Amino acid sequence: MAHDERRRPVWVGVATFAVLIVAWFALTTWTSTIGPGRFPSPREAFDALRQIWVQGYADARLPVHALHSAKLVLLGFVAAVGLGVPLGLAMGWSRTCEAFANPTFLLLRPIPPLAWIPLAIVWLGLGDAAKVLVIWFAAFVPAVINSYSGVRSIEPHLVEAARTLGVSRRRMVTEVLIPGALPMIFGGLRLSLQACWTTLVAAELIGAIAGLGHVLYQASLDLFPAMIVVGMVAVAVTAALMTIALDIVERRAMPWRRA
Amino acid sequence: MKRHHWTFAAGIALALASAGALAQTVIKISYQPALYWSLPFYVANEKGWYAELGLKPEFSTFPAGVPQIAASASKSWDVGGAGSVPAVLGAVRYNLLTIGITNDESYANALLATGKTAAGFVKNPASIKGQTIVLTANSTGDYAVQSCLAKWGLKKADVTFKSMGQAEVISAMSSGNADLGGLWAPNTYTLEEKAGAKQICSGQDAGAAVPGALMVRADYAKSDPQNVARFLAVYLRSWKWLNAHKTEAIAMMKKFYAQGGVTISDAAMRKEFDTRPTFDLAQQLKIMHRPGANGASEVDGWFANIGAFMKANGTFADAPMPSKFITDEFLQMVDRDPKLKAFANRAD
Amino acid sequence: MAQGLTLRDPTAPLPFARWLALTVAGFLAFFAVWWAAAASGLAPPQFLPSPGAVAAQFVELTHTPFVGYTLQQHLASSFGRFALGFGLAAAIGIPLGLMMGWFRALDAIVTPLFDALRFVAPIAWVPFAALWFGTGIGGPVMVIFSGAFPPCVINAYRGARFVEPRFIEAAETLGASNWRMITEVLLPSAVPSIVAGLRVSAGLGWQSLVGAELIVASSGIGYLLVRGQANISTSIVMSGMIAIGLVGFAIDIALRLVERRINRQRGR
Repeated sequence: MAHDERRRPVWVGVATFAVLIVAWFALTTWTSTIGPGRFPSPREAFDALRQIWVQGYADARLPVHALHSAKLVLLGFVAAVGLGVPLGLAMGWSRTCEAFANPTFLLLRPIPPLAWIPLAIVWLGLGDAAKVLVIWFAAFVPAVINSYSGVRSIEPHLVEAARTLGVSRRRMVTEVLIPGALPMIFGGLRLSLQACWTTLVAAELIGAIAGLGHVLYQASLDLFPAMIVVGMVAVAVTAALMTIALDIVERRAMPWRRA
Repeated sequence: MKRHHWTFAAGIALALASAGALAQTVIKISYQPALYWSLPFYVANEKGWYAELGLKPEFSTFPAGVPQIAASASKSWDVGGAGSVPAVLGAVRYNLLTIGITNDESYANALLATGKTAAGFVKNPASIKGQTIVLTANSTGDYAVQSCLAKWGLKKADVTFKSMGQAEVISAMSSGNADLGGLWAPNTYTLEEKAGAKQICSGQDAGAAVPGALMVRADYAKSDPQNVARFLAVYLRSWKWLNAHKTEAIAMMKKFYAQGGVTISDAAMRKEFDTRPTFDLAQQLKIMHRPGANGASEVDGWFANIGAFMKANGTFADAPMPSKFITDEFLQMVDRDPKLKAFANRAD
Repeated sequence: MAQGLTLRDPTAPLPFARWLALTVAGFLAFFAVWWAAAASGLAPPQFLPSPGAVAAQFVELTHTPFVGYTLQQHLASSFGRFALGFGLAAAIGIPLGLMMGWFRALDAIVTPLFDALRFVAPIAWVPFAALWFGTGIGGPVMVIFSGAFPPCVINAYRGARFVEPRFIEAAETLGASNWRMITEVLLPSAVPSIVAGLRVSAGLGWQSLVGAELIVASSGIGYLLVRGQANISTSIVMSGMIAIGLVGFAIDIALRLVERRINRQRGR
């Protein structure tokens, strides 16, 4: 049965988008079923895009906003991965470490990153540091959990075999632990990255001067639906690009999985 | 698509509600919690004045003017009060009409500085150049701040604005992460009393009139003009009463502010009354009166300035004509109806 | 089990007493660091209250109303919105995912759309949510929905796609209709995957709720946070954070129990 290896024909996807765009025109421009104050027409959305691309909106042009956001996400993400993955690996490897670190983790984990915003402002001010802290909280949890489960999912006899061969501690980590946990780690990184973007928009409510979240915030203060759409699309595209970049890194890091 | 369900459900709810409560019509009223001009809504409900005129209020509250205006698009409310800046935005985007003035809040919208920097800025306003000011964009606070800058001969480009909600402004200033901020009362008092900040310039100081607006959705005004007039009568009566019974008024204000999470001193509450003039029916009609066919009223002048400010901010390309969205039609209705007029002027 | 192999195997389960001691030490260490940071004057108590001050505030909030309601009432109002948004996401997402797993055409149509929308952060919907549904109940519910919906769809879809082919073949030879195929073959085999998805979905939904309430709401736990912030009361903010954490934790535990129970039943 072909049920399992079916492929989605590309043309259906293209057709879906075409139908949707036609419907968009039909509902807004041609029949104005949806009023301009509720959802923009394609024309308005295009004008808004041109405005932010050429003259700029919310104090900067679109690429500047996107780069600023990407920078914040990257900073928060790298900081979270840099701390989260080693912690997750350590907790996965050593029960002692797990038992000791788990309580803190349990206490902090369920608090949504956005709830840190008020504290981030009073602790770190209005600069990038506060935003990076909030983003860090978002990315940290998935990084730890997945690295932890990654280690736990390594086949025990692999570890045993390495041990009986008298492998050194360092080689155990670099040649057994990390490669074994890598697939799960990358799964976690993907979630982390997504969480970073989700949080970014809210983080940029903290007195940003640039950034896609700032564009969205400003557009919502101006009640400017066309610019809100542009902002949302920009967030989605930038996030998708970063995910693709992560995919490429993943493939490079695990050449053996290419098949 | 989904809208039909909503309106349908709302229709059923409305039908049930009106069947249940003897000939009382539901009116959906919006305001912002813990604000001076919101107090009459609360007081009138406590006193049962809406019911006296056959209205059954359903309140919805919003943390700021802009989401409130946005929610009018989904018909979340029929009438309400907000700052004049959101009111102009609502006029441009969603045909909201301004039908009365809640209060003159020129003094209550202000630029504040942290305790240690205030004296320096007051002595030498030019030193504000190059500073960062935290404020809520598109708000009356924003308007007051920019008016103050203009008074000192500074331009918007001379400073850096960072836009955020009032709660964030308070956090940023109280923790010393920002020295200058645009706020409105009672947030100004919170910051003065709990973080030692100082008000260094208000809209009043800068010669900018900052009114608060009573608004109605245009289609509601068309379908239920009577209810709009009754709503105004209740609001006017509340101010009459509040101004005539200061001690009780302060006590109710305290309760009302606490419900919004604001705890400021009695002195600050008294100051609210002392610095923010309100208008009774006759005064409202006077400031909204347009002399001649093309004449502009005093209120028209205030709103024209606000429109110009918002245009300069880039909020919209063309400021709306005040005569297009400000109307005293419903105040006139109250004035013409002896019963409503008497009701609006009662101070007991 | 690698237990008998070597005494120094760090992956071996710890004796209970040792585990307990370490866990308690972990808790103590957390609060000790917090307390020390507060007591050292690193940050003024206004911005970093001690654990004791926060605990006292938390207790006070449960019986003295703040911004009109007690802590429980705020939580109840938030939870109501959450339940509605999450329920809606599950009610629409799971059937959609299953059907996508069965009908090729639907899969081909929906998947690209879905992939495009997935990258839009739930919070980014806030401006439109306010515009379309207001900020009372509709707006926040829409934001929660946009956070909780994707995992419901994805996991139902995956569950349906990885049903053992022999089950499908068997059902096909018995001449099962599309409806019966989905409800009696796909759905039961997809249950573990769906429940796992619901857990993720509930977590994201609860987080989105807090975000929505921080920005536009006039009641609920996120609103409590904002008003606490506006009143320069960090201990209220922290109490709110703890309450949010506790409820999030409770939701996760509840769904974990459901998951375990289902897996156990199916294990037999």
